[in-house]
Amino acid sequence: MAVAENTAAGRRTRPLLEAIALYKSYGSVQAVRGIDLALAHESYVTLLGPSGCGKTTLLRMVGGFEAIGSGTLMLDGARLDDLPANLRPINTVFQSYALFPHLTVLENVAFGLSYRSLPKDRIKARAREALATVRMEAMADRRPRQLSGGQQQRVALARAIANEPRLLLLDEPLSALDRRMRKDMQIELKDLQRRLGMTFLHVTHDQEEAFALSDRIVVMRDGRIEQQGAPGDIYARPATAYVADFIGGASCLPGRILGQVGKSYAIETALGRHVVPGVSGLSVGARAVLCLRSEKVALGETGTPAHVTHAVYRGADWLLECVAGGQIFQVTHVGPPPAPGETVRLSFDPDRVWIAREAA
Amino acid sequence: MRPQSAGTWLALPVVAALGALCLAPLAILFAYSFFSVDFVTISHDPSLKNYARILQSETYRGLIARAFGSGLLVAAITAVIGYPVAWFLAKRAGAAKTMLLTLLLVPLYSGDLLRIFAWRVLLGAEGAINRSLIWLGAIDAPLQGLLFSPLATHIALTYNYLPFMVIGLWLAFESLDDAWLEAAADLGAPGRDRFRRVTLPLTAPGLIAGGLMVFVMVVGDYLTPQLLGGASGVTVISAINDLFGTAFDWPLGSAIAWTMLAILMLCFGAGAVLIRRSSLVAEGA
Repeated sequence: MAVAENTAAGRRTRPLLEAIALYKSYGSVQAVRGIDLALAHESYVTLLGPSGCGKTTLLRMVGGFEAIGSGTLMLDGARLDDLPANLRPINTVFQSYALFPHLTVLENVAFGLSYRSLPKDRIKARAREALATVRMEAMADRRPRQLSGGQQQRVALARAIANEPRLLLLDEPLSALDRRMRKDMQIELKDLQRRLGMTFLHVTHDQEEAFALSDRIVVMRDGRIEQQGAPGDIYARPATAYVADFIGGASCLPGRILGQVGKSYAIETALGRHVVPGVSGLSVGARAVLCLRSEKVALGETGTPAHVTHAVYRGADWLLECVAGGQIFQVTHVGPPPAPGETVRLSFDPDRVWIAREAA
Repeated sequence: MRPQSAGTWLALPVVAALGALCLAPLAILFAYSFFSVDFVTISHDPSLKNYARILQSETYRGLIARAFGSGLLVAAITAVIGYPVAWFLAKRAGAAKTMLLTLLLVPLYSGDLLRIFAWRVLLGAEGAINRSLIWLGAIDAPLQGLLFSPLATHIALTYNYLPFMVIGLWLAFESLDDAWLEAAADLGAPGRDRFRRVTLPLTAPGLIAGGLMVFVMVVGDYLTPQLLGGASGVTVISAINDLFGTAFDWPLGSAIAWTMLAILMLCFGAGAVLIRRSSLVAEGA
């Protein structure tokens, strides 16, 4: 039955992984409450959210380490949730890497392959190939404890891809690495996913990481999906104040919708009325927020008067914190900054800011 | 002087004292095992006579074999009982862990003799087990074989030394990261393989440590067999005791002691190699 559905035509039209109305609670704590998600073939998807938002629980349910509370998981159109972890064609890169300390690097990578009906020399050859993919073939005979964090990370990656899974899960795989190493690994992960043509589902709390890697970002909050879409969409057109703030730290100015003007809305805020594009479906009189990203706000001769409270040097530019109308705004500023305490004038181009819902 | 080397120097007296106190007596025993007794004095002409005597004597060979047999048996029984107990303590006991660990150690705070006599009360002809069985109608007359038998000895030895096995295994399970088991499942290993290829090799150090402790203590315990074993209560340790005491044959006593020690070290060397082998992936590198 599953085989019949798994035709080439079926594959193209059907998402690789589907989660339908997924719930999970631990005692009285609801970790995941109603997730519907579809992963396209050969895509890089990140689950992004703060700790406790349910992203890791969701990943663990897909991996089979956590029983689903209710709902359905489908892989290639076949039920996934009644399969135990060892029978799922899915592999995982664990946050702690979880390399077997009593086995060599090669033995670690060969572990999963030993469950394929392959001759021993093929197993070894494929394990070596997987190590070569992450440029670790020279370390084949070492033990995990003899490797640096970055090297262990690569071995964990090799071990997970050696099995050629339909789906690769990555549970905050870069969180233990230093910043420089993290940047390098981001590029490598993205490159690897493209080369292998595999689908990666990656959990992170780091929005920069999500932007660097993803075809699609799923922003989670309190066990639900707050918004999902391409990174550019999520950044430029956040659906809610939460997303606007979590992604790139926009200043959200509360206001009330006065009316719709084409695809834009007229909004009344503490800093006056503006006509600005926004998320669809806002009704007149509804409460909404005006999202101002620091790089979309400029200091000028005209505009809203504001007090500078802090100026932080960031190398390429300054990040100013200004207060106007009881609201804190962050402003990216190039060149000599105004001193804290000074009064400046803030302005923005109405077409380059965005109106989002106050809450989901 | 760098702090590290200062630490080395500061530790040196303790290491030296421990070395002297632990190794020196053994070395003296080792030297004695090559001497011989000449009426009431000890002749210092080295020879292998004592070891030859042990090899030729059926009594000593039998006693030594029985001691190691008992040690292995009790180590095996405590391992089988202790393994799930240790797993439960480390992985499932949660907040009750401290209390359960304390309970586990409580019998050790009571004296040896107290525990042995408690078993006499339980296993004796008029003891709790026989009385219960008679009351239930399962038997007509008390079972005589319960007390003063190898059975009684091994039950008491298992009871006595189980905590040491559990502690050794508990520590091993505490450092067994659940993520390793998840990774094994993730890579396709079914439950029995997760045990064979991950849990067992990674808890093997605890099994060896616990087994070694139990084994050594069972081999060295002569009070329990003496008081519960009846006719079977003569052990190689009591024989050594006699040789150093009334029989005044220190060289033969030393030789037996060193024979025991050598066999012990061989057993565990072999065990360690075996477990290391079994931990390697089937296709090996």
